[in-house]
Amino acid sequence: MDESEDVPKDFIKLKSAKLSVDEVSELVVSPNCGAVSLFIGTTRNNFEGKKVIHLEYEAYTSMAETEIKKICRDVRQKWPSVKHIAVHHRLGVVPITEASVIIAVSSPHRAESLEAVMYCINTLKASVPIWKKEIYEDEYSWKENKECFWANSEK
Amino acid sequence: QVSVLYFARSAELAGLRSETLSVPRQITSLQLWEEIVKAHPRLAVIRDQVVFAVRQEYVLLGDQLLILQPGDEVAIIPPISGG
Repeated sequence: MDESEDVPKDFIKLKSAKLSVDEVSELVVSPNCGAVSLFIGTTRNNFEGKKVIHLEYEAYTSMAETEIKKICRDVRQKWPSVKHIAVHHRLGVVPITEASVIIAVSSPHRAESLEAVMYCINTLKASVPIWKKEIYEDEYSWKENKECFWANSEK
Repeated sequence: QVSVLYFARSAELAGLRSETLSVPRQITSLQLWEEIVKAHPRLAVIRDQVVFAVRQEYVLLGDQLLILQPGDEVAIIPPISGG
């Protein structure tokens, strides 16, 4: 790999195939970075005593990618030493324990990438137009993130 | 004429994912909602939980005046749950 091409990059992907932690971490690895921080969102098998069979995700894809790009831009403003950022989100059916989202960030030292990963997932939950449906044994439910400012959580 | 996109619960209530709608070039976001509910009355139940995305920018339902161009995308955005 030509080291002069190692400019900071954002890797954003929304896809229905199974996500790979190896693939996402390899995207952000960089010779002058000593830290790669990762977040993996996995599907839980229960919610309020109900058994979750699987999750289904849908997205306003073009806007979701734009919003994730905005998050990457904000990350680079807040933590200028961040090198590469990768956000992969799965769409369609996600079986229990499989990953629905993987976020990886590289930086020279660990503090920035750890903080940037947390910022990415928190902001994604507040602003990216992606929806999750939880499928139970005999019903389903469209979930609402508490970070979403237009959800009525106290209804 | 704008493209209206429906997602998640709003797609279930409206029974479709997208359509073109004829609306005035200048309209408040609340008036736009009311036009859409006229076409799909079952959407009325989620009025307090949705926002719009007009040309991919979030807009609350209210007095905000929208200047719409032909072919603009307007999406109904129920509460999000990504991540």
